[in-house]
Amino acid sequence: MILVEHLRKSFHDARRGWVEAVRDVSFECRPGEIFGLLGPNGAGKTTTLRTLSTVLKPTSGRAMVAGRDVVLEPEEVRRRIGFMSAGTGVYDRMTAWELVEYFGRLHGMPRDVLRARMETVFDWLRMDDFRDVLGSKMSTGMKQKVSIARTVVHDPPVLIFDEPTSGLDVLVQRSVLDKILELRDMGKTIVFSTHSMSEVERLCARVAIIYRGELQAQGPIPELLAAHDQPNVEELFFALVEKADAECQSAEAAP
Amino acid sequence: MNWSNVLLIFRREGMDQLRDRRTLFMVVVFPILLYPIIGAGVLQFAAALQEKPRVVVVVGADRLPEAPALLAADGSTFNPKLFDSPAEAARLTVETRPDAGEWAAPERREQAVRDGEASAVMIVPADLPEQFAAKGDVAIPIHYKSVDETSQVTYLRLREVLDRWKSGIVEQRRKEDKLPEGYARPIEVRGLDAATSQEIGGSVWGRIFPFLLVIMSLTGAFYPAVDMCAGEKERGTMETLLISPAGRAEIVVGKFLAVLAASVTTAVLNLVSMGVTGLQLARRAAFVGGGDPTSQAAAALAPPTLQSALWMIVLLVPLAAFFSAICLAVAAMARSMKEGQYYMTPLYLICLPLIFMTMAPGIELNAFYSLVPVTGVALLLRALIVGDYHTAFRFFVPVLLPTVVYAWLALRWAVEQFNDERVLFRESERFSLVPWLRRVARERGSRPSSPQAVLCFALIITASWLFAQVLLTTGLGGLGVVVAGQGIILLVPLAMAFLLTTDPMGTLRLRRAAGRYLAIGAAAAVAVKPLSAEFERLVQWAFPLSDATKSVFESLLQGETPWPLAIVVFALVPAICEEAAFRGFVLSGLQAGRRTRSAIVLSALLFGLLHVFLSLFQQFFNAAILGVFIGLLAVRSRSLWPGVVFHAVNNGLAVSTEALIELSRRAGVVGWVYRDAERGLYHVPWIVAAAVVAGALVLRLWKFDRGAGRAGA
Repeated sequence: MILVEHLRKSFHDARRGWVEAVRDVSFECRPGEIFGLLGPNGAGKTTTLRTLSTVLKPTSGRAMVAGRDVVLEPEEVRRRIGFMSAGTGVYDRMTAWELVEYFGRLHGMPRDVLRARMETVFDWLRMDDFRDVLGSKMSTGMKQKVSIARTVVHDPPVLIFDEPTSGLDVLVQRSVLDKILELRDMGKTIVFSTHSMSEVERLCARVAIIYRGELQAQGPIPELLAAHDQPNVEELFFALVEKADAECQSAEAAP
Repeated sequence: MNWSNVLLIFRREGMDQLRDRRTLFMVVVFPILLYPIIGAGVLQFAAALQEKPRVVVVVGADRLPEAPALLAADGSTFNPKLFDSPAEAARLTVETRPDAGEWAAPERREQAVRDGEASAVMIVPADLPEQFAAKGDVAIPIHYKSVDETSQVTYLRLREVLDRWKSGIVEQRRKEDKLPEGYARPIEVRGLDAATSQEIGGSVWGRIFPFLLVIMSLTGAFYPAVDMCAGEKERGTMETLLISPAGRAEIVVGKFLAVLAASVTTAVLNLVSMGVTGLQLARRAAFVGGGDPTSQAAAALAPPTLQSALWMIVLLVPLAAFFSAICLAVAAMARSMKEGQYYMTPLYLICLPLIFMTMAPGIELNAFYSLVPVTGVALLLRALIVGDYHTAFRFFVPVLLPTVVYAWLALRWAVEQFNDERVLFRESERFSLVPWLRRVARERGSRPSSPQAVLCFALIITASWLFAQVLLTTGLGGLGVVVAGQGIILLVPLAMAFLLTTDPMGTLRLRRAAGRYLAIGAAAAVAVKPLSAEFERLVQWAFPLSDATKSVFESLLQGETPWPLAIVVFALVPAICEEAAFRGFVLSGLQAGRRTRSAIVLSALLFGLLHVFLSLFQQFFNAAILGVFIGLLAVRSRSLWPGVVFHAVNNGLAVSTEALIELSRRAGVVGWVYRDAERGLYHVPWIVAAAVVAGALVLRLWKFDRGAGRAGA
């Protein structure tokens, strides 16, 4: 359902020139599976996922989402995904109901179908008590729920969550993760990025560790732990980071 | 384009703006409050002006004759009969002083004016009664201070009063001497004002109103545009919209319509508020009546007629569309509302001089101004307000059409901005000059970038303009100046190609061209000749050259220049220099990240603008159209030379027009070729044949001859 092959993305920076934010990243994610993208801030997670959401164009490589190429058919891709990240906020001057309705309409849903679907989603996320609250008056938890509702209102087969729990308190965190697990059980293809080891352990069948724009390792968690001879994800993560840093330093020293 | 998405986005953005208090204030409340306040202000100012009396000290008033009387009976004012109305008389207060004691000294009198004790001091000389009786003449000195406005005005009023008094004296003497009535007044001037009351009122509005209306529609577009772009980025909702299935063009058009609605609403509310205020003022003036300045000021503010108002709204929509699209494109670059506000200043600075034209006296709407963005609309608004319908209807379409085109281009730019991830996801970065320069040098590509191409154009214009002033003083002579000017046009792209790209030869297209392209270039230039003669006639008809410009150009172009030299200076040199710049560096740069078609059109527009800035704006059209053809030729042949051939032959034929006519005359075929040999106009069959050939060549290049272009890609 999601296929990423040798993805590269460079940005231009006034001071450093061309910077490669993502280098040769490849992975795959199937329906009914949560694929975890684990990495520190600035590792290239958001850039990778933004490429999947079609707002950034890859410098080279290829990405297919729900059978469509993100470069060739960006609008078809956007029709088939639900995307949620720190960058996808909630409109201040719109109520929860209006916002979800707006995006449902943009997805071309007929009014009556949309209405029924929204009732289901609002009920599922327990959002009925703040239907008519403006975005500016919502708590962080409410906003996060509205974002999830916006992400799933058109019932997309593919869901991409970019650090959906950052900045949330533990209660909201837990409920967001529960909802993502429920979505997996509905058979959705889910990519989930985070810098939290425990979330990865709890949610993901397979995980990729991304650092300095490159995938350091990927596979089912037990296999990865065995292959690198580490007791848990946290140790595995630090071992891989240290290894990458050492390689980088020797590469810089070599020429 | 999915219009239901556009409508959805438009409705949401519109609702969003209606729920924003700041926007509501700027768009709705501010204009409604502004004009009544201005109106009240005008009345108050006029009232304040009226209340201030001006003191005239009359020294030696006792020497004045009884009849005709200069002063009123009580001596505190001048004789009211010497004024148009008693109210005016009351504004000059008289204080009489004997010509003795301290007031006898000239220093004291001057001091009184200096200190502001009196606005003017008038001295009745001692010999006045004597001279008066003897029917002699006498000088009346008046002290005043020209730099003090009150004193200056008082002095002028005083002279008027004394003039009328003098007329009274002359009349009295005439009667005494029993002379005919016209003796002392051989002529009498009666001014008959042809202006209607609408025009008199309109001229005051006509100056201020277009200015306010244009500024208001810009302001009305700017705030919502910044809110919808930078504001969305700041609030983190831009990406939410970008990942929806709505296409970029749909998003931009939806937002654009919302900005347009806000801009038009602001402008129309201004119109209404201004009209209501004007109506109120006019009614008040009618009520007060008379010629006092309050009512005069108010009468001048009579509102525009309903008919004018309706036409103005029709005109406002494309102007507002232009502003809306520009604001959207500019605001898309900003990361935050604060940064968005920074962009406002340059936008206003560019617009202000364009609007100030309407305030300047003597500037009338003509064919040229009708093409200038903003200015054309502002001048047309002025014509409509003043009630000059003749001018207004003549230029309505010529102003409306370019404005629509500019708006469309600006909208295209806005869509381009939204398609550019570098614009939408711009991170804040620190800028330092030296590393940046080092990096530009290190990371040069094989071709220049679009901004570099535009920079090249701007440098050519500024350098040419600056050097033109210097060159004219060097005594090089006309031809020398032309060649040196072309040298600058060549030097800039040459330097930029070598400094900024790794492949300067490729950038400037300095490659060998296939022979057939050179042939196409030459053939097309010959084929275009009869067409450009017709076209030139059309342009001359629409935008006549002033005689002064014509004579300057004739002295520069014709003179006694031998033909071979003229060919070199006006055909060969410009062909090489201008081609290297526009089909070389500029077109190569514009081709980066853009469809070839758009790049060719843009480079042709810049080529046309070069002629506006450096020679005559009339050449814009010809240059832009030929620029498209040469651009196509350059892209297809991947070489500069076919374009150089076309350009050289085209200019060469233009320089030799008269020689060719003379030649055909000698060969006896002149009547066969030209239908108007004096003006170089060809017979219709020639024109048709030329059009067919030129069309076939363009079609061949555009459709069938893509070989070389594809091999290069």
